[in-house]
Amino acid sequence: MNWSNQSGGGGPWGPRKPNPWGSGPTGGGNGQGPDMEDVVRRSQDWLRGLLSGGPFGGRGLSIVGLGVVVLWLGSGLYTVRPDEVGLNLIFGRYVGSTQPGLNYNLPYPIGSVIRPSVTTVNTTEVGFRGGDGARRIAVRDVPEESLMLTGDENIVDIDFAVQWQVDPARAADFVFNIQEPETSIKAVAESAMREVIGRRNIQAILTTERGPVEADVKQLMQDVLNSYGAGVSIRLVQLQKVDPPAQVIDAFRDVQAARQDQDRARNEAETYASKVVPEARGEAARIQQEAEAYRERVVAEATGQASRFNQIYVEYKKSPEIIRERMFLETMERVLAGTDKMIIDQNGMGQGVVPYLPLNELQKKPQAGAVK
Amino acid sequence: MNSTIRFVGGIALLVVLVVFMSATFVVQQTEQALVFRFGSVARPPIENPGIYFKVPFIENVVTIDKRILDLELPQQEVIAADQKRLVVDAFTRYRITDPLRFYQSVNSVAGANLRLTSIVNSAVRTILADASLSAVVRTDRSGLMQRIRDDVNRQAQGLGIKVVDVRLRRADLPEQNSQAVFQRMQTERQREAADIRAQGSQFSQTIKAKADRDVVVLRAEATRTSEQVRGEGDAQKNSILADSYGRDPDFFGFYRSMQAYESSFKSSDTRMLLSPDSEFLRYFRDPFATKQTIEVVE
Repeated sequence: MNWSNQSGGGGPWGPRKPNPWGSGPTGGGNGQGPDMEDVVRRSQDWLRGLLSGGPFGGRGLSIVGLGVVVLWLGSGLYTVRPDEVGLNLIFGRYVGSTQPGLNYNLPYPIGSVIRPSVTTVNTTEVGFRGGDGARRIAVRDVPEESLMLTGDENIVDIDFAVQWQVDPARAADFVFNIQEPETSIKAVAESAMREVIGRRNIQAILTTERGPVEADVKQLMQDVLNSYGAGVSIRLVQLQKVDPPAQVIDAFRDVQAARQDQDRARNEAETYASKVVPEARGEAARIQQEAEAYRERVVAEATGQASRFNQIYVEYKKSPEIIRERMFLETMERVLAGTDKMIIDQNGMGQGVVPYLPLNELQKKPQAGAVK
Repeated sequence: MNSTIRFVGGIALLVVLVVFMSATFVVQQTEQALVFRFGSVARPPIENPGIYFKVPFIENVVTIDKRILDLELPQQEVIAADQKRLVVDAFTRYRITDPLRFYQSVNSVAGANLRLTSIVNSAVRTILADASLSAVVRTDRSGLMQRIRDDVNRQAQGLGIKVVDVRLRRADLPEQNSQAVFQRMQTERQREAADIRAQGSQFSQTIKAKADRDVVVLRAEATRTSEQVRGEGDAQKNSILADSYGRDPDFFGFYRSMQAYESSFKSSDTRMLLSPDSEFLRYFRDPFATKQTIEVVE
């Protein structure tokens, strides 16, 4: 990109250039030359002779001409910085590339060198501008770039960035093949993203397909740019923002909220279940234990009663009359001891006594008894 | 004398230089060139870069770009085969392959862009009119782009250019249709949210009902075993008692009656009207009564 001819780099008297005095007649001897005063004086003499058009004039002119030619040839030296590739041109024709370091090409106007930077990673932003995280520059959204149709005819809002660099092996393609690489890359990026998004459904794009989308867009962009011979290598396609459009984002968030609600309802129900079921188990265990207790109680009681009866019966067998009489009397004794008694002899007193049942009295008595 | 020679020599050198300069021209790596002599083509187009010679002042050179050129097309609205409207925004990449024909037909890149714009626009409209919206957006985007490119190439044959690529950058719905889509998306999401909430309620009800059922079943089963156990207990009790009492049912009747009297009449809420004839009071009347007589009386 840097069209620089070889006249640059320090002018004809630049530090790297061969010393024109070196090829002069006084050209100092080997190693320890003549002392400085002598050299200066002789140089001045020589110059004076040259300017005055003296006997040595023709020879002087040719020496100057030679010096200029040497200088001119020397101006073909140039440096390629580590992040660059040098592209040599001779009469406009590309003849080869050079690696970082000191290089040579024929000087202007025959040759020229273009040195594009190939390690710089350029970023093309689509759907937004700015947004330098470090400098806190506000991101500006560009909706006409970021809103796109999905395969199921929904609209999704996508911001993404493409990182690309000039392919060092194909730097000549980048420089010579494409008119405006940056605009091409951006246009291809937009086109590729829309093509890839158009093949997918919105739900997948919003959730699981982000990685595949990035990979597909990268691949598609690389293919298209290769078909242009653009000499560009796409390093990374990075989705910055994948959202439903602002108009409907609340509805999408509500779906998330609904999922939470669903989980909550389920958890509540499970909490309820894990409370009542064990309680019921406990209750069941209690009912069963009570039943066991009942069984053991009635069996024990029955056994007791039976054993009591058996023992009495053994006695009874020995003298049934007496035992029976005794039991009867004892029982009646105990029964009658605690009750109100009235003995009415209907036979002895004739029909004089009407068995009158004073119901009021009867009702009061037990109450009084109860109070007592 | 000496200086005159030098002056003339200098002039001559200058003239030679000027003639040389105007007799050469450089074709850059990114260019191709046409050489005209008095307006007519002097020789085949020069496609390779480098330095070339021409007849000074008689031939003139026109250089033409050899790179891939870009052409951005303005947005246009097209109607797809299913009558849906689309706002389409395409771009084209082309290169000049026949510089002479190019120069003769459109003269410059600007002229070519003008012609190409109308060609591409009409190709986009024609091709997309045969495709459904879902084909444009989803299923056949790249195929349609290739067809557009081929169509444009066919129409642009006379311009000396080759279209490398026509790509649809944007193919979106017009603004008012977008609003409809937004509304549809919104209602779809609302329905989804309602579905999810209803499902949550369903889960909740199901889980709770299952728990309640489990509770009832657990209780019922407990009651069942409980009753069984109680029944077993009663049965054992009965068999124990029957074993025991069965040895003398008559005495059992007496024995049990005694117990029952005692427990029934014990409390003070009982008032008894006794007849002196009762067995208990038999000695009231006759201290020497025997059981036998009483039994007879009865």
